[in-house]
This record gives sequence, C-alpha cells and structure tokens, in this order.
Amino acid sequence: MLFCEQCRVHVKGALHRCPLCQSPLSGTQEENVYPVLLPAKRTMRMFLRLAALATVVVAVICSAVNFSLPQTGWWSVLVIAALASTWLVLGVTVHKRGSPMKAIVWQLGVISVTTFLWDVFTGFAGWSLDFVLPIFIPCAQLAAFIVAMALCLRPAEYLFCMTFCILAGFLPLLPLLCGAIGIIYPSVICVGISLVALAGLLLFKGRELKDDAVRRLHL
Amino acid sequence: MMDRNYLPWWRLDNAAKIFPSTSSAHDSKVFRFFCELEEDVEPAALQTALDKTMEQFPIYRCVLRRGWFWYYLEESPLPALVRPEQLPPCFPIYPSPRRSLLFRVLYYRRRISLEVYHVLSDGAGALDFLRVLVYEYLYIRHSDDNLSANCVPVLGISDQQKEADSFQKYYEKPARRFGLSPSAYQIPGNRLPKNQLAILEGKISVKELLACARARKVTITELLTAVLLRSIYEGMPVRSRKKPVVVTVPVNLRNYFPSFSSRNFFAIIHVGYDFSKNSTDLEAVLDQVKRSFQEKLTVEKLKTHVDSLCALEHNFLARIAPLPLKDVVLRYANRIAARAATVSFSNVGKLSMPEGSEKYIRQFGVLTCAGCLQACSVSFEDSFVITFASPYRSRETERIFFQELSRLGLDVTLTTNIEKEVEQNAVL
Repeated sequence: MLFCEQCRVHVKGALHRCPLCQSPLSGTQEENVYPVLLPAKRTMRMFLRLAALATVVVAVICSAVNFSLPQTGWWSVLVIAALASTWLVLGVTVHKRGSPMKAIVWQLGVISVTTFLWDVFTGFAGWSLDFVLPIFIPCAQLAAFIVAMALCLRPAEYLFCMTFCILAGFLPLLPLLCGAIGIIYPSVICVGISLVALAGLLLFKGRELKDDAVRRLHL
Repeated sequence: MMDRNYLPWWRLDNAAKIFPSTSSAHDSKVFRFFCELEEDVEPAALQTALDKTMEQFPIYRCVLRRGWFWYYLEESPLPALVRPEQLPPCFPIYPSPRRSLLFRVLYYRRRISLEVYHVLSDGAGALDFLRVLVYEYLYIRHSDDNLSANCVPVLGISDQQKEADSFQKYYEKPARRFGLSPSAYQIPGNRLPKNQLAILEGKISVKELLACARARKVTITELLTAVLLRSIYEGMPVRSRKKPVVVTVPVNLRNYFPSFSSRNFFAIIHVGYDFSKNSTDLEAVLDQVKRSFQEKLTVEKLKTHVDSLCALEHNFLARIAPLPLKDVVLRYANRIAARAATVSFSNVGKLSMPEGSEKYIRQFGVLTCAGCLQACSVSFEDSFVITFASPYRSRETERIFFQELSRLGLDVTLTTNIEKEVEQNAVL
C-alpha cells in the first residue's frame, strides 16, 4: 500500500504520484486495479476519411479545370452531384451497418430518390420511372427477404422493414395511372410482385404484423 | 414453450423515458457496480453464474428499440457474455452501431463489474442483479464450502414483481404545477479527451464514518453531502459565489413505496446551499442539509414529485408527439434541468450478501457517467466506498473532499484509473 504524507491518505495500485496533490508516494506499489486500455484501432474510420479527402480533391480539380475551360459546358456540376450521390448511399449504409434490414430500407429510399432526381435534372427522359425504379424495388424486396431468412431474424426484427419495401412496390402505380410512363411492363410486373408479396405477408405473418404495429405505435 | 414468432416487449418506465433521447458519448447514462473479490475472477465460472442469473431476471435479456412515439424494450435472443475489461469505464451502450443487450458483465483481476444502461434499471435494481451474480459465482467456485443454493439474494420475488413499472402503480393525477428551479453553480473546466472518465475511489471504514456522523448527530449521507457542498465551495471562483451549490440526490423510492421491481424506481431531490448568504462552517452546512433531507424525504413530498413527473408522460400532446420530436424536446429539457444542479451524489446504502459468502468479498463499489461530476457510494461490511467519476481534467473538488475527510480523522484509501489515463495520453 502507498501513502501520501501531504494528504494523509492511503493509495492502492501502481501509481507514482498522489492522485490528489501529485506529490511522490511512499510505500510499496501493488497490482493495478484498473486495466491499462489499448487505443481502439479504427481502420474503417481512417479509410472513410481518406476516401472523403480524395473526393474533395477530385471535386476541386474538376471545378478548377471546368472553371478554366468554360467552353466545355458545366460538366463539373454532374461530377460533384455524382460524388454527392455516392456518399449519400455510402453514408446510410455505414450508418445502418449494424442492422442490415434497416440498411436495405434506407438504401431503397435514398437510391430511389436520387435516381429520380438524376432523371429529372438531366432532361427527364423517363428512364428512372420506366426501368430503374420498377426493377430496383423488387430487388430490394428480394434482398430484404433473403437477409431475413439468412440471418434467421424473428418477425419483430424484420416485419416493419419488409412491409416498407413491399409498400414501396406500389409507388410505380402512381405514374402508371397518370400515364407518365412510356414502357409499362416493368412497372406492371413490379406492382404485381408487390401485390403477391403483400398477400403472402398478410396471410402468413398477419398476426405478427399486428403485434409489431401495437408495440411500434404504442402511445 | 416459447413462441418464436412472439417477442415479449415492455414500455419504458417513467424515469427511463428520458434516457435514450439524452444519452451521448460524453454522457452515456451507464453506471457501473463492481465487486472486488479476495481472489482473481475465473471467467468460465462467471459465465455459468451469469447464465443462471439471467434466468432470474428476464428483463435483462432485452434490447432497446425505437417505436413511432416511444422507445420500448424488446426481448432478444442475443447471448449475455462476460468479457475482460477492455473498454473505458461506463462506455456508451446505446446508441451503438450494433444492437446489444443493455448491460455488460466485465472482469479484471479480482473485480467483477456490471455496467448497466439506465433505461434498464436503476442502482437498486442493478444491485440485485449483481448480488445474485456474485453469489452464484461464489457458489460455483466454493462448492465445497457450505454455501446454500437456497440463499440466493432475491429468491421469492416473482418475475412480474421484478418487471413491474412501479411509477405507474403509484401514479395519481396531480393538480397543475409549473416552475423552474433556479440555476445552480456549474463547475467550470476542460473535459478529458475522448470522453474519458477519471475515477477516484475512496474507501473508508463504516464504523469510523458512522462514529464521525453520529458525533454530529447526522446520517452518513448528510455528512458526506455537506462535505461535498463545502468542497465545491472551496474550489469556487469568488465571482460565482452568489450562485447556490446544489447537489442532486437520487432517492430509492422502494424505501417509501413497497416495490420489488428491478427496473427504475427512483426520484431525485435537490439539496442546495447558498454560501453567499449563509455561514461557510461545516456545522452550518450540516444543519441545513439535515433540514433539507428531513423536509424533502417524506412520502407526501416524494409522491407529489413522482406524480408531476408521471403527469408529463401522461399528457396527451406529449404522447402523440412523434419520437424524433420527443428526442429534440427531451434533449433540450434535459439541458435546462441540468442547470439546476452542480453535482450529483448517490448513496446506494448498505448492502448485504447471504451468510457465508461475505468472507470471499473485499468490497463493493459503484460509479456512474452522466456528463458532469458524479459521486456514488455503497457500503458492504466495514468498507464504505465513495467513487467520484469526472469527465473533467481538474480534480480539485475530489482533492478538497478527500483531504477534508482525512482532516475529520477518517482513514481514506484511494484507488484510481487516473495515472493510467495520463500514461495513455502520453503514448497516443
């Protein structure tokens, strides 16, 4: 046991100085009571920071070149938008990495919205509504199904996200009914798949879905 | 048989409702109880003991989830594993990238530590868990000794009693009452880097402390509260002295309203002292602290306090507000409420272990992380352990406090993680 003559207190552990007044201690040292902690290795964080810096470098170079050569058109805006979209998708994925079902839902939302916006701001040729969304949404539904099965999740852990993905499958119905779609087959198939999935969900997991709603919506 | 498709879930109790919204990396709302044994901990036996303990506390097998209006607890198949102590004390449990159980059991040399997220339980509830865990561990390790399997601490209390939300049980709609507490002195200072917590434990003999308190006709809690108030005053800059120094003291409501719940059931009382208007002698401070405790610790006062807290939760508008909005409002409200307190001191009190198991245990201790200086204490046999957990670089309050105790004639033994932190920072 160690002793501080100034504060008149005993000190346990392997210290050199009094924790109160920092004067030297007399007596013999003992084993540590608290472990010496090693700093955590954060390779992921380091990687993300490097990637972020690289993104900034690319964006700055493109803007600078574009600014110097204005006759080539404002293509750097597209580059920056593409980089931002990539980071958005990467960001939600990293943020939700602990919960794959939530990650799917967030990716579904973010990718759908950014795709639509890309289409709108690049002349609105309609490719996002015609093809990308009606194909992407059933893929997300399938991914949610596979993840739930593969990780042996319990209904309470996947039902909400699954329901969200299935309901998202009815979104193409809106432009379809408004006549805003050129090629209707992908959208029709997407809505059809979602209808079947919804029927399956209600028939096989209806009771669990109700339980889940009760706990999620309790006031 | 358990239905795999149905997971039991629990609403959060009144006190727990604020914690998920307000916990962060520097204010993790995690507290730690530790038990120091006479021998090094054997991990395999501790794991077996934990498995047996989990059977008695079903609510500990749950995770925190977000609903649309409130957070809730949901049973989880995640395993409860004992781990060597490798994280800083009271490291955040929620929010975390991975869903996890709301407590962890750690071991290092002679110590078994139980870290609990405050949503799950308060000190008294967690202590029941730790007592059962330690007893089960000792029962396995010393099977040749005559420890009895029927002496497990909380035997005879049903799962429903342990899971009960006692706030709901004792809530009655109160008359309308509004009012903000005046703001208290805040200890200034720079924080330690990386949200570290500087821990300083002081071990005192219960007999000596009791004699010291009795000589002044006060209880141990009153004596230590008064010494703590004076220690803060001594470290105060003169220009701040017009502000009152306020200690918040959590009160275990189980002592006032019958309950065996292992969840939250506590209230907080504020004990303040205005050094600019009153004498700075210890005797004068003690006198007022004693009066404050007597005034505030009555069943009626506590009931009014609890009712007003529960009324907020039962308010219709508060209930239908979506969770993200509640998060923002609660975080803001918490910041305002924190202004009314300088420091917190929680005396968990005397704790007992079944006969025959005491000789294997050196001491118990408790510490908590809540974003400001926190003192907690617990006594076992003749060891009274008071632990300061501070996010600040300066440790003036602790220095004055322990030097004052030493001046009162008490023999103090300190333990700390501080030098370790300094060494690490030098390495990093």
